[in-house]
Amino acid sequence: MLWAVPYEFSIGLGLLFMAILLWPRHGLAARWRQGQELARRMRREDALKHILKCEANGRVATLDSIAGVLQITTGAAARLLEELEAGALVTFESGRLRLRSAGRELGLHIVRAHRLWESYLAEQTGVAEGEWHHRAERQEHLLTPQEADTLAARLGHPTRDPHGDAIPKANGALEGEQGRTLNSVDPDTAVVITHIEDEPDTVYRQLMATGLRPGMRAFVIDKSPTRIRFWADGNEHVLAPVLAENVSIDLLPDFRTEELIEEEFLSGLQPGVPTRVIGLSPACRGPERRRLLDLGFVPGTRVEVEMVSPGGDPTAYRVRGTVVALRREQANLIRVSSRDVPDR
Amino acid sequence: MDPHRPSSSSERPTAEAILATAERWRQQLAGDVHEQVVEGLYRQAARVADRAVSRPDRAAMPTIDRRIDRLVTSRVWGFPIMLLLFGAMFWLTISGANVPSTLLASLLVDTVHPGLKGVFNSLGAPGWLTGLVVDGMYLATAWVVSVMLPPMAIFFPLLTLLEDFGYLPRIAFNLDRLFKQAGAHGKQAMTTMMGFGCNAAGVLAARIIDSPRERLLAILTNNFALCNGRWPTQFLIATVFVGTLAPAPLAGLVSSAAVTSVALLGVFMTLAVGWALSRTVLRGEVSTFSLELPPYRPPRVWQALYTSLIDRTLFVLWRAVVFALPAGAVIWLSANVHIGGESLATHCVRFLDPIGFLIGLNGVILFAYVIAIPANEIVIPTILMLTVMMTGSQGIGEGAGVLFKLDSNRAIGQLLTAGGWTVLTGVNLMLFSLLHNPCSTTLYTIYKETGSGKWTLVAAALPLALGFIVTFLVASLWRMM
Repeated sequence: MLWAVPYEFSIGLGLLFMAILLWPRHGLAARWRQGQELARRMRREDALKHILKCEANGRVATLDSIAGVLQITTGAAARLLEELEAGALVTFESGRLRLRSAGRELGLHIVRAHRLWESYLAEQTGVAEGEWHHRAERQEHLLTPQEADTLAARLGHPTRDPHGDAIPKANGALEGEQGRTLNSVDPDTAVVITHIEDEPDTVYRQLMATGLRPGMRAFVIDKSPTRIRFWADGNEHVLAPVLAENVSIDLLPDFRTEELIEEEFLSGLQPGVPTRVIGLSPACRGPERRRLLDLGFVPGTRVEVEMVSPGGDPTAYRVRGTVVALRREQANLIRVSSRDVPDR
Repeated sequence: MDPHRPSSSSERPTAEAILATAERWRQQLAGDVHEQVVEGLYRQAARVADRAVSRPDRAAMPTIDRRIDRLVTSRVWGFPIMLLLFGAMFWLTISGANVPSTLLASLLVDTVHPGLKGVFNSLGAPGWLTGLVVDGMYLATAWVVSVMLPPMAIFFPLLTLLEDFGYLPRIAFNLDRLFKQAGAHGKQAMTTMMGFGCNAAGVLAARIIDSPRERLLAILTNNFALCNGRWPTQFLIATVFVGTLAPAPLAGLVSSAAVTSVALLGVFMTLAVGWALSRTVLRGEVSTFSLELPPYRPPRVWQALYTSLIDRTLFVLWRAVVFALPAGAVIWLSANVHIGGESLATHCVRFLDPIGFLIGLNGVILFAYVIAIPANEIVIPTILMLTVMMTGSQGIGEGAGVLFKLDSNRAIGQLLTAGGWTVLTGVNLMLFSLLHNPCSTTLYTIYKETGSGKWTLVAAALPLALGFIVTFLVASLWRMM
């Protein structure tokens, strides 16, 4: 009689299930409620963040723009705004949506936490670049202002996040985004990329795939209504104008485009030809960057190819009397010049 | 005012003022502070070195080092040299360990064991105590020591000598391309090699990989390197079940080929599982790469011997012994505690039999893998003991729960065939011996190294699941044919 379970056993099992379901704080029901509460708070804070960003850039947040950014229906967005108004976070002045001081403070904290967390991921963890924004989107709601301050101190009070966005001070103001984009530049003008937009996700992923990073030097080769062909850090890129709109730049009046083209990278170095390190590419961040620096790839250092692996990759380089093997991807991050190479 | 002397208390600036000053200066700094510090350090170091160090002309430099490097990393000779060196190392280990292993076994198992038993009996100890302590705990530990110590004491010093000489990083350099495609670090070639000696040592060696993601990958896949504890199982089963399929003159060749294929399957699994892991659960983890290639040095023989014996051999052996003691007790108890007229082991084997049949093995093998978890070395003795118990063979072995060895392969073959073994059982045991959870020593080391119960669980469950799948497929195909 396999299934003749004693009834004490059934009662015990029943009690166990009830406990798993209803246990205070750790039961499944309590967990589900906590999850719902967190989701609601995240929506409120995301709405505040959006309104704050609109304010900083001189735009006006509307019901539709909030619904669009949060990907909820207009009805849900309206209810969300009601909630925010009831919480004294926003106000409607003559039909225009405005932040009250508590709302501005909270929104600023969210933006600050987001950008600090991205900096942390980029500089100290080495988590893959595609994960930064996504992870920060969640973490921004979990950090308290105190934790954000501690994090900022630990990172050495960074002023810009890895995408080039300004990190606001704890009680400061949010800086608006810079005006000029890659779209607006004339061909053959040297520029430096200052910011890569990280929202929406699809745009960011396409831009990330091109390998463009803040700090790279670039110039437009030619433009047409459907595409922009440009050069950046040793490679030619083509972007649709709608994507190039998301790349902010500053002009580099002291540089001629010929000088940019002449930039070389360690990966292109031939055996037997010594070269000199100019610096590390901005795309090289965090532990990777520190490791290369510690190994001696600092400006002015003489480097030459020592040997190449039988598979063609990695390549071993002689640098400051030691031999270090780097993969092609790493060698691609080191700017070199064949001019003024030191003797040793 | 002297800038080096602290100013008097009346002039001492407030904390806020200092912070404000620091903030102002920080705003003026362009770029990364860390970077500027490193550059400054190198500038300063180069200045000091230029003043203090005189270098001979460059002509003296391209020395033997460069010539060796050209040779061992050349397209033509790089891989043959590598295979030759490691073939030689394995041959030395396997053939060289035989003699001391037999000596140790005859001392610890054939001499000390009866002696201890005599001491216990003369003291009037009850039978169960003698059984538990001498037949169980002592004997299992003696087995582990006698089969584990000699190969490790040969393999690790050889490996340490190569390491000391500077050759191992060149292997990582040569093989990096391969490991890169699996999402792993070239240095994993070194930890895998260490794993051929002992997986616990291989896991420990993964410390040389400084990027967390690749290090975890090396730890999780190290078990696919066929360790010293499993080579004897492979050779025995290949000789008894696979070699006999071929005509007698070719038997040795065929069984060696079978063992080599299993080892190569392990290497393939290392790369395949690495590839799969780095595209799924380990995708977001940290990843960096750099590989230093130090100059060649004449190996310091005594130091190498000492460190390899103390740090690797004895360290791992100690952990194995710690786990072997309780396992010996469990093995003896399982065979000697009776419920309803039959021993615990019999119940367990009966229970596991249907699962075993499904994957072309049997309950005895599965139960042996459960209770012999401290070391792969005692799996075969446990299987033999359990088979004798289950078949009720007379005149073989030393009694219930007492591990023993048979000197002739023929006798082992006869015993196992009596236990219902076929060629399929042999082949699947070879596969399962490669693809199953790491021994408890390795698992404990993985836990220590990762500090995570989750990853330890993955390290145990992943190869076990693979083992079940592979043996199930092989058994199904075999039975269809």
